[in-house]
Amino acid sequence: MQSEPTHEILNAFIDGELPPKEMERIAALLAERPDLDAWVRRREAMRADIKNAFSELVTAPPPTRLVQAVKGAPISWRWHLRQFTAPRIWAPAGTALALGLVIGIALHPGSDFASRNGQMMAQGALTAALNDQLASDGHAGPGPRVGISFRNRNGRYCRTFDAGAQSGLACHGDQGWVITLLAAHPQAESSGTYRMAGSEMPDIVRAAVSANIDGEPFDAAAEKAARGRGWK
Amino acid sequence: MEETGAVAVKHPDMDRSAEDIRVKMVQLLPRLRRFAAALTGSVADGDDLVQDTVERALKNLHQWEPGTRLDNWMFRIAKNRFIDTRRSYKRSGVIAVDVPDDTPSVTGDGARAADARLMLADALDALQKLPSEQREALVLVTIEGLSYRDAADILQIPIGTLTSRIARAREALASLAPEG
Repeated sequence: MQSEPTHEILNAFIDGELPPKEMERIAALLAERPDLDAWVRRREAMRADIKNAFSELVTAPPPTRLVQAVKGAPISWRWHLRQFTAPRIWAPAGTALALGLVIGIALHPGSDFASRNGQMMAQGALTAALNDQLASDGHAGPGPRVGISFRNRNGRYCRTFDAGAQSGLACHGDQGWVITLLAAHPQAESSGTYRMAGSEMPDIVRAAVSANIDGEPFDAAAEKAARGRGWK
Repeated sequence: MEETGAVAVKHPDMDRSAEDIRVKMVQLLPRLRRFAAALTGSVADGDDLVQDTVERALKNLHQWEPGTRLDNWMFRIAKNRFIDTRRSYKRSGVIAVDVPDDTPSVTGDGARAADARLMLADALDALQKLPSEQREALVLVTIEGLSYRDAADILQIPIGTLTSRIARAREALASLAPEG
């Protein structure tokens, strides 16, 4: 005499979740027991009814606002960064992948850069942006735009920036912001205009971030706290 | 696109995978809508939950492990968001069977569309009578057709717990409907 199957077992049978031998045993039992068979059939019908009730909803095109949300909502910048920190940087044959190569940059008093004691330093609007701008505020106006902030392996605060024709990485030193990487945007060179918010950070800047970062990029709170400490 | 070209080399895989993920999410929308409507009890509230879910998923995309199932991860976000917001739904009395006019209809067949709407309203109504733990379990297995293992994984409960929730949910539904 076999034991009476529990409701759990019968439901798992309905959902096809029992091991094959057990599925066979229950099927054989139902053939002999009309009461159990009726019990199971009723719940199978209920299962099908509920699923059918939702079939119109699942075959209908989703509302535009949901499609727009998927297409337009911002993707985590940590995800973008992780995509890049995976060890796979490919350069097409013949492409120069030159770190920090900037040709013909003007180091005049009005520019964002100055040479001091053999180092390239931020100055003017770029220094102001690096000191004060919070990426979490979403800078939309003209002028340099700050991207990711983090601590490097020497314990210095570093920030990526986009300053029109160039973007790069600056780390805060004793005398101010030292430019540790500068990459040119060829499209922007002629006009010198700042690029639109939301444009991509050059991969080479990302590579510099992942090579130098200690821990995680700052979230909004950490960025604000670092500004509060004057990036020291 | 070309503006970062000369010095830095555009990573060919990067934007494509972001684009791939958005395409996959659009494909998941119908299932997410179904799941969210079943949880909240109305298509309109469900759609709000889906929008919230999508925005959170993209914002926290770094928490998703590539190679694992995107759909299960998003179902889990939807379920957690539902739990987080449930209290406010209840407080405002929004939980109600309310199938709005923009409920999908069958093309060219108004009567069938009305029937479908009624059936959906009945099903939403019946599911709302279940405790939410049972509803979540039943919906994932019965409507989404997920395995017990996947459903338990989404709900972060042992399979044994899931099995007993399914059994109790079906008994509760059976007691609502007249013996046929």
